[in-house]
Amino acid sequence: MGKILCATRGGEDSQRTQRAAIALAKESGDALVFLYVADASFLDRIAAAVVVDVEAELEQMGRFQLALAQEQAAEEGVEAEAVIRHGHLRTELMAAAGELGITSIVLGRPQGRMAVFEETDLEEFAAELEARTRAQVRII
Amino acid sequence: MHETAAALLGAVAVWLVHYIGGTFFPSLQIIGFDEAMAFVDWNVVFLILGMMIFMAMFSETGILHWLAFRAFRLARGNAWLLGLILIVLAGVTSSFLNNVTALLLLVPLTIQIAETVGIHPSAYVIPEVLAANVGGAATLIGDPPSTIVGSHLGLGFFEYAVEAAPVVVVSLLAVAGLSLWLNRRELAGAKRRLSPALVAQLEAGARISDVRLLRKASIVGTVTLLLFFGGELFRLPPSVAAMTGATLLIAWVRPDMQRMMREVDWTTLFFFIGIFVLVGGVEEAGVVDWLAQAVGRLAGSSLSLATVLMVWLSGAVSGLVDNIPFTIAALPIADLLSATIPAAKGSPALYWALIFGADLGGNLTYLGGAGNIVAVGLLAQAGYRMTFGRFMRDGVVVAAATLVVATVWLLIRY
Repeated sequence: MGKILCATRGGEDSQRTQRAAIALAKESGDALVFLYVADASFLDRIAAAVVVDVEAELEQMGRFQLALAQEQAAEEGVEAEAVIRHGHLRTELMAAAGELGITSIVLGRPQGRMAVFEETDLEEFAAELEARTRAQVRII
Repeated sequence: MHETAAALLGAVAVWLVHYIGGTFFPSLQIIGFDEAMAFVDWNVVFLILGMMIFMAMFSETGILHWLAFRAFRLARGNAWLLGLILIVLAGVTSSFLNNVTALLLLVPLTIQIAETVGIHPSAYVIPEVLAANVGGAATLIGDPPSTIVGSHLGLGFFEYAVEAAPVVVVSLLAVAGLSLWLNRRELAGAKRRLSPALVAQLEAGARISDVRLLRKASIVGTVTLLLFFGGELFRLPPSVAAMTGATLLIAWVRPDMQRMMREVDWTTLFFFIGIFVLVGGVEEAGVVDWLAQAVGRLAGSSLSLATVLMVWLSGAVSGLVDNIPFTIAALPIADLLSATIPAAKGSPALYWALIFGADLGGNLTYLGGAGNIVAVGLLAQAGYRMTFGRFMRDGVVVAAATLVVATVWLLIRY
């Protein structure tokens, strides 16, 4: 049995990718893993007192986003695992795919200005992911 | 480049020009190290340091999460009431914690609450940001412009709060009314039936994490507030009150000091020092005089016109750039105008115009305050895009309304 990894941030644009990953898991019978990468680098832009444990706050928020994704999967009869990592998406996605023995990775196509990747950038990254992890990458 | 790096680069450039350039060209001897240190307002630096230590420990209690979840329970699925409570919570919290801390603690849970009730999180998060910027003007420690100008005027905590209260209260009411109206469509679409699994998940992240620490922080926080208010009797600077509170809490809680010192955000303190030195250099070079004369020419001899200009120019600039360097740079202009406009002599009107303009103008765009950038970053982390225009849809309306409130109040008061 294979293992599908779906990187998600939550929010409106991730819904489509989550639904596709759930459908794929349902069809193939593969296990499904949702991954949330907590990235606090947006704080690098400000010179204000940050005394809060931002990583913990983001982890809590990520846990909730993953619960939403898991609930959506459960509605389709798919049981999904949830994983949270801290750092940059590219590095953590690559590492998680290797560590979890992932056979298939689902990525969302860039939507609008807040997307993590540019279109061409995403295709290059997908090729790199495939080469390094030997997992099949699908761009939805 | 990070703002702190830019501020330090500016300060070092001022010194290098003075010492190296000044050796060959005496006219470049603008400001040396010792004179530059006199420009640093150490009351501001230590006040912020004390509050940072206090906030670092307070934020570990989980009280704000708990309060936000209580708001969710109290509202019983009424999205409008929930929005109103979150606005009040953000406004009041930001009066005592800096905006970034308040929003870093409130926004993640607010996003989850919004998702649970099925509305776009921006409908709650943007009003929280707007309320935090307004609430920050309520006290001497709420927002850096208040701290900087209040310290410059030698205002006590109580003295400041009494003067700021009318504008802040009316402005918060304006934020609540306008935000709920601007987001009426989103709020009207809230779900009635909530997922029990999501509510349970929400609750799991909203527990008070350290009751003993909360008890100690509350007692020391109350003592510190009493010192802030009562300190005026002993001419106790706010920085001493803040450092006393922080030290008492450290002595009582006995945290790991190495960790505690790592949690203090030194970049902010060096940012302040760098900006004070840089602006000192600019002031000594005569640039501030030139700017003050330009504003003075526009205002003529009218204090009212100068007040209106100060509120709105400060508001407009603070909506686009960080209000900390702006406030430090605008302070000497307020000094000069207060000394040259006959009716302004002995009146704090222009300083209050600067405080309200810089604090309230931060709502104009999402670049107007560090808290705004933090909230937008947190929304992006949850997968919600926030465009410049979407923030401005609410921000411009609220900033304009609150700047009008401040202007009217200052014209009546002075």
